[in-house]
Amino acid sequence: MPTGCGIRALWILNSHDAVVFSRRFPVVEKQWRVACKSENKCNGGSVDSVALPYLPSDSELASSFAERKKREGSVRGFGIRVSQSAEGSDSWVDDPVTRHVISIYINKEEGQNYLLWPLILHMKSQFCILVLPLVELGHLDSYKELCKRSDCGSAVGGVDGSLSSLLLDLPSVTGAFMVAHAIGEIISGDMAEPEVIVNASPSVGGLLDSLTGSIGISSRAKPVAAPVASSTPSNTSVGAVSSDAMKIGSRPLDKDALRTFISSSMPFGTPLDLNASNIFTIKLNGFSSADLPPADVKQPAWKPYLYKGKQKILFTIHETVAAALYDRDEIPDSISVSGQVNCRAELEGLPDVSLPLIGLNSNRIESLSFHPSAQVPEQGADKQSVMFSPPLGNFVLMRYQASCGLGPPIKGFYQLSMVSEDEGAFLFKLSLMEGYKAPLTMEFCTLTMPFPRRRIVAVDGTPSVGTISTTEHSVEWKILVSGRGLVGKSIEATFPGTVKFAPWQTQRFPYTKSFFGSMAEEDSDADTEPTNNMVNVEEYLMEKMTKDLPPVDLEEPFCWQAYNYAKVSFRIAGASLSGISIDPKSVSIYPSVKAPVEFSIQVTAGDYILWNTLGRCPSIAMPR
Amino acid sequence: MSGDRPPSKPLSAQEWESLIEDFQHGRDTSASSSVADLAISSVLRRDLPLPLKHSLLVFLEESADALFGPHLLGRLVEALRSVVQSPPDPAFATYALKEQMMVSTTAIFVTVVDGFEEERCARDVASLVELLLAIVNRPNHGPDRQTRAMACECLRQLERNWPCLLAEIVGHLWSLCQSERTHASQSYHLLFTQVIRDIVTCKVDVSILNTSVPLVPFNLPQWVLGPTREASALNYKELRRAMAFLLEWPQVFTPCGMMEFLHLIIPVAVALELQASMLKVQFFSMIYSYDPVLCHMVLMLYSRFLDAFDGQERQIARRLVSVSWEAQGHPVFRILALHWLLGFFSGMSNRVVERKNMVIDMASSFYPTVFDPLAVKALKLDLLALCSLCLESQKSEHVSQADSLSVVNLFKDGLVSVSAFKWMPPWSTETAVAFHTFYKFLIGSLAHSEDDSIKSKMLMDSTILRLLQGMIVEMTMEFQQLVPTIVSFINRFLGCNKHCWLGERLLQTLDEHLLPKVSVDYKLVAYFAIFDKIAENVAIPPRGLLEVLSNLVVFLVKNHGPDTGLRSWSQGIKVLGICRTMMMHHHSSRLFLRLSRLLAFTCLYFPDLEVRDNARIYLRMLVCVPGKKLRELLKLGEMLPTMAPSGESDTFFNVQIPRLSHDPRKSRNISAYVHLERVVPLLVKQSWSLALANLGFGNANADSVKGIIDSEPKSDDAVIGIASDGPISSESLNVERQLEPLRVMDAKISEMLGNLRRHFSSIPDFRHMPGIKVKILCSLRFESDPFSRTWGFSPPSDNPNAADALPAIYATVLRFSSSAPYGSIPLYRIPFLLGEPPKKSDSSVHKVNSDIHAIENGAHEDDSFRASVTIELEPLEPTPGMVDVFLETNSGNGHIIRGQLHGISVGIEDMFLKAIIPSDIPDTSVPLYYSDLFTSLWEACDGTSSFGRETFPLKGGKGVAAISGTRSVKLLEVSASSVIQSTERYLAPFVVKVTGEPLSDIVKDSGVMKDIIWKDSVPDISDDATLAGANFEGPLQLKYTDAEDDMETYANYTSRNMGCIHILIFLPPRYHLLLQMEVSDASTLVRIRTDHWPCLAYIDDYLEALYLA
Repeated sequence: MPTGCGIRALWILNSHDAVVFSRRFPVVEKQWRVACKSENKCNGGSVDSVALPYLPSDSELASSFAERKKREGSVRGFGIRVSQSAEGSDSWVDDPVTRHVISIYINKEEGQNYLLWPLILHMKSQFCILVLPLVELGHLDSYKELCKRSDCGSAVGGVDGSLSSLLLDLPSVTGAFMVAHAIGEIISGDMAEPEVIVNASPSVGGLLDSLTGSIGISSRAKPVAAPVASSTPSNTSVGAVSSDAMKIGSRPLDKDALRTFISSSMPFGTPLDLNASNIFTIKLNGFSSADLPPADVKQPAWKPYLYKGKQKILFTIHETVAAALYDRDEIPDSISVSGQVNCRAELEGLPDVSLPLIGLNSNRIESLSFHPSAQVPEQGADKQSVMFSPPLGNFVLMRYQASCGLGPPIKGFYQLSMVSEDEGAFLFKLSLMEGYKAPLTMEFCTLTMPFPRRRIVAVDGTPSVGTISTTEHSVEWKILVSGRGLVGKSIEATFPGTVKFAPWQTQRFPYTKSFFGSMAEEDSDADTEPTNNMVNVEEYLMEKMTKDLPPVDLEEPFCWQAYNYAKVSFRIAGASLSGISIDPKSVSIYPSVKAPVEFSIQVTAGDYILWNTLGRCPSIAMPR
Repeated sequence: MSGDRPPSKPLSAQEWESLIEDFQHGRDTSASSSVADLAISSVLRRDLPLPLKHSLLVFLEESADALFGPHLLGRLVEALRSVVQSPPDPAFATYALKEQMMVSTTAIFVTVVDGFEEERCARDVASLVELLLAIVNRPNHGPDRQTRAMACECLRQLERNWPCLLAEIVGHLWSLCQSERTHASQSYHLLFTQVIRDIVTCKVDVSILNTSVPLVPFNLPQWVLGPTREASALNYKELRRAMAFLLEWPQVFTPCGMMEFLHLIIPVAVALELQASMLKVQFFSMIYSYDPVLCHMVLMLYSRFLDAFDGQERQIARRLVSVSWEAQGHPVFRILALHWLLGFFSGMSNRVVERKNMVIDMASSFYPTVFDPLAVKALKLDLLALCSLCLESQKSEHVSQADSLSVVNLFKDGLVSVSAFKWMPPWSTETAVAFHTFYKFLIGSLAHSEDDSIKSKMLMDSTILRLLQGMIVEMTMEFQQLVPTIVSFINRFLGCNKHCWLGERLLQTLDEHLLPKVSVDYKLVAYFAIFDKIAENVAIPPRGLLEVLSNLVVFLVKNHGPDTGLRSWSQGIKVLGICRTMMMHHHSSRLFLRLSRLLAFTCLYFPDLEVRDNARIYLRMLVCVPGKKLRELLKLGEMLPTMAPSGESDTFFNVQIPRLSHDPRKSRNISAYVHLERVVPLLVKQSWSLALANLGFGNANADSVKGIIDSEPKSDDAVIGIASDGPISSESLNVERQLEPLRVMDAKISEMLGNLRRHFSSIPDFRHMPGIKVKILCSLRFESDPFSRTWGFSPPSDNPNAADALPAIYATVLRFSSSAPYGSIPLYRIPFLLGEPPKKSDSSVHKVNSDIHAIENGAHEDDSFRASVTIELEPLEPTPGMVDVFLETNSGNGHIIRGQLHGISVGIEDMFLKAIIPSDIPDTSVPLYYSDLFTSLWEACDGTSSFGRETFPLKGGKGVAAISGTRSVKLLEVSASSVIQSTERYLAPFVVKVTGEPLSDIVKDSGVMKDIIWKDSVPDISDDATLAGANFEGPLQLKYTDAEDDMETYANYTSRNMGCIHILIFLPPRYHLLLQMEVSDASTLVRIRTDHWPCLAYIDDYLEALYLA
């Protein structure tokens, strides 16, 4: 039985499906071979005895991976059983997770092939990271059964042998995901630490700076404002076609950093610590005899260094508001806040900190989760303290999901109506910060109307406040600019206008064509139908535009390109929208030291969407 | 390659790099151990860059299998010792290099050393362990703390590979573990835990407090070296103390370290029978960590110690749901959390009720949110499906259930989140998710492994199925682009052994509800994928589909214009494709009527030549390949020929099957002993028959069974039907006129026309006067014995042959009815009939049945036991069928006997009549008249005939008939003599002309055929034949040739031609069947023409029975 999480091997492939880095862990592989051997002994020698204890070479893996890509339609694959799915492929299993936990067939020379599963697939910048964790032979057999079953599929809640039970049974898969993500951060170079805001400077750096800032090795490129929330929605405004399509032209692979990271974090294939900044700091700094261990307590593995210097503690509540505003009677608006409390504790020794939180009103807070070092308070009470032992550097102390305590910071509607095929009339009517009082401040507010599939020729119209700028595929309305924030009062903003597009051009996606071409041709009979009896320009246009919509990835919430919407981005300071807050005065530290506590709040917009009231929009049903 | 190099020549950095690359890409695996030797010395060289040394070490580690033999291990340990013991030096012995060296060496040892049979191996391992222990044994030492941590890790891997390797020194390890306070303490903890775990699992008797064995020098313990190990009792007390110590320090671990730690201690806890609640208290709060690994660890604990977590299932489930809400995390962890939840629920399968309640209670938290990635939505919808499953099963147990939460609501609510699939292109991800959800909801808990006939039944009337059936019909109606997706959805079920009935069910739904609603126009092509599936499915009667297709073809023909050529062609070809599918999968008799009409119409009127051609080929296949052969051809062997149409059988398709009489009990089975039999048995046992009713394509008007044109006739009525009093509708004429070329009539043709007019004017229009009758001779008899028993007569006396002992029936009335179009059949009365005496043996039955035998014997008694009965039919169509016979009679003792007898089957040969001779023809010119009539009809029934649109008034002057001819051929591979014999025996009255000297001679000699036209010369047949040969396409020639050159074969064929027999058969009420038999020595080619194409199917069987039987 494999213990814990063991990684048999990992590969990094570039966008041309060539292996640029690979690492095999013979110690874990030995466990696999021993398991295969004993299994064979039990079964009296099965067929796979030759193939199973064998890891593919880089080129074998690369070609198998490319083959899978061909079979599954894209790097990740369909994820759900569709008509193109073949028996034995991942999408045959009919589960979205097969886009992340994939299988490939390795072809041996004798024409035999064997299944390699589970391969964790993580894509970061232009690289694909594949991690192969150690599982039991039985697990592999179960999966084989799943993807080769000849019947129609598995029912939900099946007793055993389902993919869900397998995943529940395999912490090594979860561990492998953590490994893949850690490696992804290293090869993409965005080892961003959570942002903590201080009043003096816009942000302070991470762990490395706290130790080495003075000796000037903090040359590492570091994003100034790290994206706190999930970065996926940010690329929606310009209509990202698919995240499978990888960005071209990125930094080369830093193999040395990778090697260093792997040999420290998982020397034998068993991950021990995936905190990259700790590992790199140790590699750079090492330890001197001046670094004395604490006298009476054990220094945790996640805190290899102890802070020395002026003591202070900083908290930042960072909230991201997602909203879908419909302005329709039949669809209720939905607003949700996902927030986190970031912390940076520059405290000597290994103290415990108690942080009283206000506003943990249980009916507004939907989920709470904490840093591993925190002692979790009882769930549900309105006011309670979180006790934690802070690691070095910036860290996320707590995450939460909440509903919006105040009303939506931006209300109103967006109407766009196509008066002809290439011209649309639109109207915005917004009210900002309605019902918001000081100290709530809206620092800036920008609204974007993306038209990813149409080229804008001209925009006509003057907003009641702010300025307009246009790019080829979007219109941007700067309602409030930085420096001229809105403090404790509300304003109305309207923007009527028209937008002219270049004539519509049918877009052909090679992806679509190769896979769905046959279906498109079927339509040719209907295509020639004269459309003179067309009643509604919009409907006609809608039909025309939806016809060649490419499928989105399963990681997107819906096909953004299919809708007309406006996306608002803003930043609010002064208070949280969820109502969560911290009282800096009642933060206590054990053993007691005097350290100033700073606290700030920042609210930004995530997917803050105004759907075109006159068009289609994605929605959901509320539980009754 | 590099294996051949002498070790003295060291490799440069570049050479090493390319060597490593070759290895990784699998280009060279035949390296020798000298590479390893070389690499080890390279590591020790001071001139090579550090990064290269690192890669060299990793390379050695990864390819240890191929590179290392046990003999190199000692050298490796020495190299390690020299690196580790050299003072810190940034250019050479960095901590990083030391660590890498330790790790690689350990890994190589683990890979290479299989056992300790070789003493050298044991020694090397011992010295490696000793070296590592020396490093480890400096707790709290500052600068090398990371290196010490690594050394611990190396020792742990060695211990894991050889369990209990370090068991003897576990006491030292514990004290090291206790004293270490730097961040390396995690590694010390893990090492100690690993040893404890191995002690527990291997049950090795050591005292973990004992430090009497020195740490160094290290010796391999006996239990590692020895082949067997004795299990001994564990020192529980000490081990519990160690556990207590270990559980004291969970906060030192990183999440990954924690994972490792928990995996190590769980078996220990189990073995030591620790209270699981202790672990729970210590670790349960990890589930609230945002680190997925820690969450998963709690789930691991849960699955190992189910009982300890009793009552906390809800908490765990809620937490997992809330992980799926966390927008901050990477989406994949949200997906994983939902999977864990699903797995968690299925893990509770032993507590079904609890799980059910929990799932239902949590239903509202499974609702997707707008910005959930589609993958998350899909999984949440899966959870909703699980919820609906629980609801459904709960409903069957407890009827009272809150209305707000119903299966239907869950389904509909959930679907809103992907409802865009309806208008998006069919390849959209939303569509995929939506159909995935349909599947999950529908299939419910129908596991494939179970025997689930009961569950199937439950599913059959589940609300979801009903809902989905409706939805699918609606969707196909409204969003035609979804058709391919729906088809593949149905395919998914059809391809599954267990659930193909579900697919069939959905197809049936579509057949029943979609087909009547679709609008027949060019857009119908969108549904063809579904049609094809319906056509394939035997469980679905093809009637509806054929109707729709017929309408489509009519539509295509009508709307054909200059700019629709291509479209007509493409759709026509597709329609024929579906027809072909039907022919391949269905029993031909189910299809025959409608399909042949569709094909006939297509090949007559379709604007596109290719479509017409194909339709003709299909039609010919359908008509000419006899049922049995067709079935063999299509390999539908298991299907019985008399398969009744399922469900509400279509009204036009009448298979006569015996019905049970509703008379009193006694009368019920009178057919067992009262027999009505044909005097002349049928050649072909007709098992099926067609009754041509209204030939209209558009409306299936069941009333107009007489084939008379309605006041609004459809285009094709005019072709085969009889024109009614009113004029032919302009609509149908339009179609005809568009297509009919102008023709010129010559003298010959006008003469033929005259013949035809004369002939038709002698045919009565059956609608206004008595039609032509067909008589079928039968005989009635009944068996005395069973009759007496049933009706209470005294058993036959000792003289069974005495007439007065036999029972009799009086005033018998036979009523006939038929669903075939035979008009009203007059009843037949028999005043008296005596029962048959009991038979002695079976052979006597045979004798009795044989008329000839009876006549020869002159056995008067026999005749008196049977009454002859004549059934008079007035066929509205010449078609075989079944006549039901009802008997009503009185027995001698006053019983009234009513009941149904076995039906009489009417064959096509019963319909064979001689053509009516007009009264003004003198007897002497009758043969000539027939001969001329034959020629004229022959010409008229040519499919391309120039008579095509001519109409001929019938007798009575009110109706007119048009001739629409069809041609067919049949090759009979029998000798000429048997052809002539059979013809003489069965078809002699219908022969009108015999040509060809050799043939005429033979026929004249036998003298059966008289009063016909003889032509000795081989006449125009060759012209006709060449003409026909040129006209007939492939299938015909294929039938009689195996040779490469068709023309040659044909020439051979004509040269052996003996002559030709011309047969003219009149088929009531107004049709004709013309046979031209070209007789040659070994085979006879029968050319068939008729103006009633449906009869071709029977003729085919008939000819086979006649000549080939």
